[in-house]
Amino acid sequence: MSSKASILSKIKANKPNPWPLPDVPVFQTSAPDKKKLFIQILERGGSKVGYVDHITKVVDVVASFFPDRLRTLSTLPYLEDTEKITSLEPKFYEGTDVAIVEGVLGVAENGAIWITEKEMGGIRVLPFITQHLVMVVSEKSLVGTMHEAYKSIGSPNTDFGVFIAGPSKTADIEQSLVIGAQGARSLLVILTP
Amino acid sequence: MMSHAKKAAIFNKDEARTDWHDASLWMVRKKRDFAVTEIPEWEFLREFASDIKSHTLSKLDEYLESFEKAATQNGAIVHWATDAKEHNDIVLSILNKHHAKKMVKSKSMLTEECHLNDFLDAHKIEVIDSDLGERIIQLLDEPPSHIVLPAIHLKKEEIGELFHKELHTEKGATDPQYLTEAARHHLREKFHTAQVALTGVNFGIAETGEVVVCTNEGNADMGVHLTPVQIHSMGIEKLIPRRSDLAVFTRLLARSATGQPITVFTSHHRKPKIEGEMHIILVDNGRTTQLGKPDFRNSLKCIRCGACMNTCPIYRRSGGHSYESTIPGPIGSILTPGIDLKKYGNLPFASTLCGSCTDVCPVKIDIHDQLYKWRQIVSEAGLPEGGNKTLMGMLGSGLAAPRFFHRLGNLGRKILRLFPGNEKFLSFTIWTRERNLPKAPVESFRDWYAKQAKNE
Repeated sequence: MSSKASILSKIKANKPNPWPLPDVPVFQTSAPDKKKLFIQILERGGSKVGYVDHITKVVDVVASFFPDRLRTLSTLPYLEDTEKITSLEPKFYEGTDVAIVEGVLGVAENGAIWITEKEMGGIRVLPFITQHLVMVVSEKSLVGTMHEAYKSIGSPNTDFGVFIAGPSKTADIEQSLVIGAQGARSLLVILTP
Repeated sequence: MMSHAKKAAIFNKDEARTDWHDASLWMVRKKRDFAVTEIPEWEFLREFASDIKSHTLSKLDEYLESFEKAATQNGAIVHWATDAKEHNDIVLSILNKHHAKKMVKSKSMLTEECHLNDFLDAHKIEVIDSDLGERIIQLLDEPPSHIVLPAIHLKKEEIGELFHKELHTEKGATDPQYLTEAARHHLREKFHTAQVALTGVNFGIAETGEVVVCTNEGNADMGVHLTPVQIHSMGIEKLIPRRSDLAVFTRLLARSATGQPITVFTSHHRKPKIEGEMHIILVDNGRTTQLGKPDFRNSLKCIRCGACMNTCPIYRRSGGHSYESTIPGPIGSILTPGIDLKKYGNLPFASTLCGSCTDVCPVKIDIHDQLYKWRQIVSEAGLPEGGNKTLMGMLGSGLAAPRFFHRLGNLGRKILRLFPGNEKFLSFTIWTRERNLPKAPVESFRDWYAKQAKNE
């Protein structure tokens, strides 16, 4: 018998009686102001938040936060004076100082931002390998909870998708929080109208 | 092997360090408590999570088949492993197929359970654990002492010393920021030179065939996206039916684990990268046997948050290594006796049965009830941890004979009055070794009651 057949037959013999699958309601946040909560939770988790009234001004905000940056890469078509995706080799992006990508949706209750391979320009490693990550998020995309987030995202066939809720961090040495573990050292979220 | 009690006694010899360990974990528990208060529907979420898991276990065979079908359609290669050996052989065969000699690995308690590192080491494969805490203990050649905080038992001075030796940091340097930066550079080089990346799996989605991995450091993603071949090792109980169920579990997991509202990265791996290979290994290794035990199958709901460890008064004051099992603490003490009763039969006794573990468990596993039930099994099996049957028998007959018990009480009170304070002479029993007996009362309740009745 194959391993698969043996595992499945053992489960059939040992599994408990049927138990109904609960219908989970789409819980919403009780916070009156989603945007305020989103910013508060992001800052609590070590992220920085910037604002623009028009997406074309994103570069100016990035410049003010990272004056010494050398290599700035963006997957946003309207940011003309930034490096674009030119290679499909992930290792090519080591040495990126700042990567600017668009977030699909922001979750107020935990500051998580959903982003898929598409917004990464097909380079899955980009939001991790860059020294600093900038995510441009529209205020209109904000939802309250993870239930609303998954409802909004649905189940499209994204090849790779990730919720990012801050800079890479660790507390593995004596529970001391260190921002900048293996991934990006900082996360700047730029809110657009 | 030494029992938990003996190991714990050794751990407790360094009182200051025990206090420090206790306080570190209690701080994490307090963070969890705060995070929980932010969600008014917390108790409902626990109930939903528990029910979703109960449902999944009741149809686990069907869900595994749906998962395999969806994952295969996504382009992943699904393997089935009945035990640790088969799992390790599959990993090795994938490595060999690609002539790979170097693999980066993110946190996976399953591969700890399978002793994958030792196995690959014997086959001349270099394995690099990429989570900072895991890397520290790997360089020290120690097992993790906690499932979420693998190096919680170590002091920064010890880590500084280790990094000085292994990563050539400055001698005497202990600043966590500096040490983490050194590890960052060390690991970046490994991510770039490894040929294969392996991760554990937090959740497998039957509906979509994707695997979800939660980390804070971003190490799992650095490995997976920089290497051409990705392997995800997944216990069969990690399955949940729908993608939307992730809303329940992502809200519960990090709040319970570290008090964060969500882990920094919640990665949904669905398809292999262009020209890449994605393998998913579904592992049984005793889980289907546990499924067949009605009293203990709920333990398979565990999402490995570690909240039961952080809250456990025994765990906090005895350290993870005292358990000598891959998963220590309360949840480990109900998972492991089913694997080897003789070896792990002492673990259900490493508890005060206070029930705090059950209270904090995000999927409502009845941990302390199961600990109690395991004790019955251990006692019936006649293992030494089951207690001294002769002594218990004597106590039983004593309690059943009121006159004898009365006389015994009088004698006991007299003896206690002769030896006030720390009754060293009683230290032959484990209960009185670390405890002072209460001051003996002048008379028993029975004597007092008799006197009152006479006076009336």
